[in-house]
Amino acid sequence: MPFVQYLRAVGARISVEGLRKQYGARTVLDGVTFEVGEGEIVGLLGPNGAGKSTTLSILATLVPPDRGIVFVAGHRLPDRARAARGAIGLVPQRTAVYPTLSASQNLDFFVRAQGLSGGRAREAVDWAAALVGLGERSAEPVERLSSGMRRRLNLACGILHRPPVLLLDEPTVGVDPQSRERIFEAVTSLAAEGASILYSTHDMDEAERLCSRVILLDEGQVVASGTPAELVRGTGMTPVIRLRMSVTLPDGWNPDIFGARVLERSGAELALAVADAAAVPTLLMSVARAGGDVLDLRLHRPNLADVFFQLTGRALRDRGDAGAVAGA
Amino acid sequence: MVQGLIAAFRKDLLLLLRDRPALIFLTIAPIVVITVAGFSLASLYGSSAQGSTPPVLLLVDEDRGRLAELARERLEKGDEVRIQIVADRGEAASRIRDDDVGAALIFPAGTTAAVAAGRPGQVLLYTDPAKYLQIANVRTLVQELRHELEVASRKKAGEHLAEARDQALAAHAGFESATREFRQKAEEFRAALAAMREEIVDRMTEARKRAADELDEDIASAATKRSTRVRERLTRELAPLKAFLADLSATKRQLEEWQRQVEERVGPVAKALPPPPRLPVLPPSIQSLAAADPEELANRVLGASIKFQTLGRLPRVAVPRVPDFPRLDLPKIPQPPEAKFPGTVEVEETSVTGAPKRLNTFDQNVPGFSVTFLLLGILLGVSLGLLDERDWGTLDRLRTLPMPFTAAIVAKLGSRFVVGMLQMALLFAVGWIAFGVSLGPQPWALALPTAGIVFAGTAFGLVVAAIARTRDSVLPVGSIVIVTMAAIGGCWWPIDLEPDWMRRVALAFPTTWAMSAYNDLMIRRQTVEAALMPTAVLFAYGALYLAVGLVLFRRHLRST
Repeated sequence: MPFVQYLRAVGARISVEGLRKQYGARTVLDGVTFEVGEGEIVGLLGPNGAGKSTTLSILATLVPPDRGIVFVAGHRLPDRARAARGAIGLVPQRTAVYPTLSASQNLDFFVRAQGLSGGRAREAVDWAAALVGLGERSAEPVERLSSGMRRRLNLACGILHRPPVLLLDEPTVGVDPQSRERIFEAVTSLAAEGASILYSTHDMDEAERLCSRVILLDEGQVVASGTPAELVRGTGMTPVIRLRMSVTLPDGWNPDIFGARVLERSGAELALAVADAAAVPTLLMSVARAGGDVLDLRLHRPNLADVFFQLTGRALRDRGDAGAVAGA
Repeated sequence: MVQGLIAAFRKDLLLLLRDRPALIFLTIAPIVVITVAGFSLASLYGSSAQGSTPPVLLLVDEDRGRLAELARERLEKGDEVRIQIVADRGEAASRIRDDDVGAALIFPAGTTAAVAAGRPGQVLLYTDPAKYLQIANVRTLVQELRHELEVASRKKAGEHLAEARDQALAAHAGFESATREFRQKAEEFRAALAAMREEIVDRMTEARKRAADELDEDIASAATKRSTRVRERLTRELAPLKAFLADLSATKRQLEEWQRQVEERVGPVAKALPPPPRLPVLPPSIQSLAAADPEELANRVLGASIKFQTLGRLPRVAVPRVPDFPRLDLPKIPQPPEAKFPGTVEVEETSVTGAPKRLNTFDQNVPGFSVTFLLLGILLGVSLGLLDERDWGTLDRLRTLPMPFTAAIVAKLGSRFVVGMLQMALLFAVGWIAFGVSLGPQPWALALPTAGIVFAGTAFGLVVAAIARTRDSVLPVGSIVIVTMAAIGGCWWPIDLEPDWMRRVALAFPTTWAMSAYNDLMIRRQTVEAALMPTAVLFAYGALYLAVGLVLFRRHLRST
């Protein structure tokens, strides 16, 4: 490894280059390369099986890489895994807590397991509980808590020691909006404090909202990376408006709006690509003039899922909304 | 790391305390199984378990004699069977056929009389061979009873014989004493007779002497009187002679005077004168007689000082000697012989190991089932606990902690170790309090094999957790192994019931060593030294399991 590259890798909180991992004959990661800097929230997006969890597992020192160079908090993995662990906070996809213990007992265990004790441990527990908003329910057994509260606890257990590197694996799966917001706030707060956060998700809204950068992963390879806006922009996709009307518009009807074009007509339903969402009022007037009575209107702005679909031809989720946006 | 270890240890204890089914499985379940098994198998060891009801043994007393009475007393005194008296053997057979009881002991009429008369007495035992264990125990009991009755009869007869011998010995001694006394009295009598004879002789001698003296005195007196009379008579009768002689003497003296005067007067013519006539000369004897003292004369006549020797002349009377008594040569009466019956062959069963003659079924079941449930509890606790951690996702979280993952495993094993020790302590305490199980002379010594088996079981749980990939496979894998180890290792029945090859195989199981130590300490009442070797083996097994478990579990983690 060239010295300059080495310095760069050590300087970044997370540095992954040419990462490769195989399970038997199946290649899970193949040449994955990315970096996460201090205070940065980087989204790791990809469908199931893309290699997100494996990447996080390697970074969390759970799985050794087959090839590639991995640095976490300046420690090369897997050789200095034990040293790196003190700097890592892992928030697994599952709520990795003890269900029969109370939230406070879980926090108490994990904070002491991190090597904190006495007042520092109590302070850390109070801080983490307050950050994720556990509130009064921390004395209850985890199994009685709601899914959202468990997710919050899951996050709290991973950040007790204020790790400089935080690995979040879909931390908001199945949570209520309130808990989701609380988790977002906590993650943002941690990043603001300087934590380097790798946020694995297949929810593009989360990624777009939280992440300063996004890495799109598919079949173990990075298909794109950059800010969400850069990625969308890079694909040239435009917003799509879907209309459902009371009558079928006459053949040859054209909205006559700059940059708009009909993508699909099916009876009284119509899909149009527009250059800008600001064209909607004009479009509605045009439809009215053609005798159409708009019963329903849907506007879909291009997002990372669309980008992913555009790049891979596959949806981020099984029930994905591929094709909802118009390609360039 | 130590702090993390303590935290993990505490966490695992908390997890267990929150797991009520597990707590029940660790405590209530073994107590229930021990209780059920203990009472169910109470008859297996011959001695009734504390609180259990011993089997019924019917007793038919057609004999109405002492023998049946003794048998009943003996059987009622023990706790091996419950005696029920039934009227006749028909009823006994009926109850056995009706599956009510397993055996009946019948004393036919005349049994006591026959035995008393020295003839064999027959006792009948009705059985239902299908009730094998019960019958086996009853058979043993009846044989013991028969032996005890025989021994008691022999003892009683011996006592009677000894009593008769004592009486004979006393009579013999009395006879000999009387004989000695008679001999002594006879001797004394003979001595008295001899003394009496001596006295007679003395008295006779004295009487003879006295008679002689008296005679001598009388004779002397008579002689004196006679002498006196003689002297007096001589004096009297010689007085004229003396007077004549005195006259004659005086006449002579006068004649001589006359002559002298004549001559003087005649002068020279005197010569020429013719001699005067001569007076006759007195014979000396007459002169002597006249001059003699009458007493002397008397003595001369009578003989002077006649010494009378009467004694020698008295007849001697010989007193016959006291005859010797005939010797009392009684025939020697031999001492009565020792009362000896032909000896019986006694089987003296001695527990050289210190174990009681009959075991309480709980002596076997408490440690056996405690070990079984301990292993099950530990196995499920460790393996399912680790699988729980995996399923909960906490295992991955533990692996990303700064403390070594081994420390987390050790903490989990350590918490289970402590729980296992407490579980065994509880079960032994229950066994001791509720079922009267002995904890041996050094109850604290039980901690050694307990620590060994808990350690081995805990480490084995890690092996199972590494082998069994899912929760569903833990129970079959673990239970097959543990049930096999428990059964072959002697947890459920005494290992001596197993064939030799199986006992050799059993040495490969930690349960065998644990039960060996428990049996030595609890049943054989041995001291801590007996548990050292098994404990060392158990720890060796534990170390082996731990090493294998850690290797397998790490491999298992890497592959997931």
